[in-house]
Amino acid sequence: MNGDARVPEIGPDDVDALVAGSEFFGASIAGSSVENFRTWTREVLERRGPVPLVEPGELDADTPCAAVGIAGSMTAIVELPPAGDEPATVLTALQNQLGRAVGAVMPMNAATINALFPVLAAAELGLPVVDCDGMGRILPLINQTSYALAGLPLTPLTATSAVRDLVSIDASAPRAELLIRAMLNTAGGWMLCALYPTEARNLVTAAIPGSMSRVVRVGRLLTGATDHDGIVLGLRETANATVLGSGRVVELGPSGKRGAPTQPANPTTVVVREERADSRLIRLEAQNELLLAVIDGVLATAVPDLLCLLDRNSLRMKGLERVGLGDEVDVLAVPAAPVWHSPAGLELAGPAAFGLPVRHPKERDG
Amino acid sequence: MNRTPSTQALTVDALVHYGPLANTRALIDDHFDQLVPHVSLVSELDQIRSCAPHTAVVLHQSLTHGVWAVESAMRLAWERAAACVVTPALPGIGESTAHLAQRLRTPVFVVDGDSAQCALDLAAAITNPDALRAKLLARCAVLFSERSGARAILGVINTEVPGVSAALVSGDGQVLAGRSTVARSGAGSRQVRVEVPGPDGQPWASLVAEVAGAGPLLDTVRTILRLACVPLAAAVTQQRLELVHNSARAGAALDVLLTDGSRRVAYSRDAPDDVASELGWQVDGRHIGVFLRVATSEAGPDVETLTPGVVSAWQREFGDRPLVPRSGGWASWWPAESRAAGDVSGELGLGLVRMRSPVGLVAGIGEPAEQLAGLRESLAQAELASAAAQGSTAGHVELFAELGERLVLACLPVAELARSAEVALADLLAASDHRTLVTTLAAVLDHGGSTGQAAAQLGVHRNTVLGRLERIRAHGIDVDRPDRRLALHLAAYALATRAP
Repeated sequence: MNGDARVPEIGPDDVDALVAGSEFFGASIAGSSVENFRTWTREVLERRGPVPLVEPGELDADTPCAAVGIAGSMTAIVELPPAGDEPATVLTALQNQLGRAVGAVMPMNAATINALFPVLAAAELGLPVVDCDGMGRILPLINQTSYALAGLPLTPLTATSAVRDLVSIDASAPRAELLIRAMLNTAGGWMLCALYPTEARNLVTAAIPGSMSRVVRVGRLLTGATDHDGIVLGLRETANATVLGSGRVVELGPSGKRGAPTQPANPTTVVVREERADSRLIRLEAQNELLLAVIDGVLATAVPDLLCLLDRNSLRMKGLERVGLGDEVDVLAVPAAPVWHSPAGLELAGPAAFGLPVRHPKERDG
Repeated sequence: MNRTPSTQALTVDALVHYGPLANTRALIDDHFDQLVPHVSLVSELDQIRSCAPHTAVVLHQSLTHGVWAVESAMRLAWERAAACVVTPALPGIGESTAHLAQRLRTPVFVVDGDSAQCALDLAAAITNPDALRAKLLARCAVLFSERSGARAILGVINTEVPGVSAALVSGDGQVLAGRSTVARSGAGSRQVRVEVPGPDGQPWASLVAEVAGAGPLLDTVRTILRLACVPLAAAVTQQRLELVHNSARAGAALDVLLTDGSRRVAYSRDAPDDVASELGWQVDGRHIGVFLRVATSEAGPDVETLTPGVVSAWQREFGDRPLVPRSGGWASWWPAESRAAGDVSGELGLGLVRMRSPVGLVAGIGEPAEQLAGLRESLAQAELASAAAQGSTAGHVELFAELGERLVLACLPVAELARSAEVALADLLAASDHRTLVTTLAAVLDHGGSTGQAAAQLGVHRNTVLGRLERIRAHGIDVDRPDRRLALHLAAYALATRAP
């Protein structure tokens, strides 16, 4: 398998791979019920036809682009699903706000259902999807993106909810995050946003390139492979994933007293004990996302690098909410996009951004 | 920088028992023997990197963002050879963290209150270890005063004094109380030894403490052992007094039991059953009488003097079986529902050899008998049989049933007879080969004057026996006079039987 092969378009037949890949990069909620979204995306693509996947450089430099993505809780959106017209509605609202048409849609982050919404919006409006994203994984705040790092304005932002609220925000990126977070409760737990309006030329440097293709490639690997070693080897080729260790989940529960005030979750911990002679302890620290891997007290890797659990028996990714005591898992680490390892990237999405007083290994090792 | 902690420093164990760590929860119970000369309160993980070895690393509340931070601190502490880690309590610290502590061999303590206060308390204790040791001494003194037995007093030392194993060891190296490993410890271990006086003021045993690894100061341990000596000596004296008292009581009770009904009224109004049940004795059913004597027939300490040591050794070997001092030895009786005197003989002989009695003992065993009247008879038989055993090596047991006519000889006052014989046969005993001549004389008389049978018994030619008889006659002894033969036979028997 060619680890960098580009995917030219996303059609109905690619939906399974898209969903499986998006689960891998949204590892904390892998395994959640996304069947409605899978069906919805396939139906739209069958009705509207495949969506082209284009690189930023292939677009006219002046092409207006905007990101689409959900802010809020995955659980909430499963319980209170969208009606179906939200992607087109929110993007149209942004076009009205901007006073011009959008020529391409990019993902806010190509992970979990946020890998599907740009495809849905683009398909409904007959636009291409830019093969990039702003996170390369899932991060909890809408301003934790490479777009924000590059200085692209997060607003004007439009957002809609399950009860058809439609709001528009014009604010700085951190303020926009706070405002959206404040509205989520009232809105029903989730809001679909159209944000980061910009021109295609800016995405050449501000976006994490090839994200959508990578999601589909990883998805094809996960849906196609039948043996454990094949998956591990394939993930190394397609996502540069490494196995930190393998073992049995021996502990699950709260960790510490409370999370950072800016974070929408409290800390939890997962302990995997290796079943080898030396029996290493791999402690995963989480706040919605898996943030740290500490092996026998030594920090092995930390956010913004991606940590995920592969169930060795079912060969499926195991989300934080699905993992159980006794599960046999591989702990996988996927290095974040290089932009996240810059000082500014680590400040925005490194351990300190989650209130964790530890330096990322890249930062510590220089 | 001097990386070797001062031997004045306290151990983790001491801080757990008597210091601020007493109020914490230990995740593991091992590796408490390290000295703790420093304490450091850290609010950032990187601060641990600059801690000196053997430091007690206390994590500030602000550092405990999660169990991962505690485990990272444990790892850094281990890299710095820290003595222990103290962390504020937080959700998630559990079995896995304890597992890691065990792997890192680093004790971890969880404090429910303010860890900064714990750090201050630790610093105060570490700065002034004498205060903590004084607290330890005071605690031991209080506990010693509350304990009465040797085992209880040794228990105080072994449970309360960190890093110390102690035992009470007799002069011949036997562990009387405490940990038997102390007596076996090899060279290299640090030992403190203090003599314990007996009731007579003479050293009776030693109190030995082994200080494991780099334990608290030997002086502190020595002081604790000295504190323990007084209650130990008192306990021993008390034990001796109880033995003497109980033995005297048992002797009086046995007098009542062994007196037949018609005579008993004159001495006591106690019924035998009441006397026996009061002492927990079983006299109903079938029993075998046993009687112990000092092995040697030579003069030595009397029964009264020997009784505490003999009874104490008996109880160690035979448990609750009665042993009652009598005028010539000690009486006992064993249930014989399903065994014969021969079975008792084997068990008793082995026990007598193993017994750590102050003198070697021999025993006689009577015939199995029913009820109290039978027991009286059996004990009388045992006493006679034990007289026959006297003069043999310690542990020898004679059965009354096998004595036959020899029983009469057993009752002879051999020592007095021998002294008379020395006068009567002075001329013969002046000869250089008198031993050979006496042995030959006894053999000839034993065989009714038959020189052939005597020669066969002695393993020599008949002519040799005839030659010796000639020499005996030359000393004025006429073996053929019937009126002197019995006296001569007794004299030869006494001289041959007496211990050389």
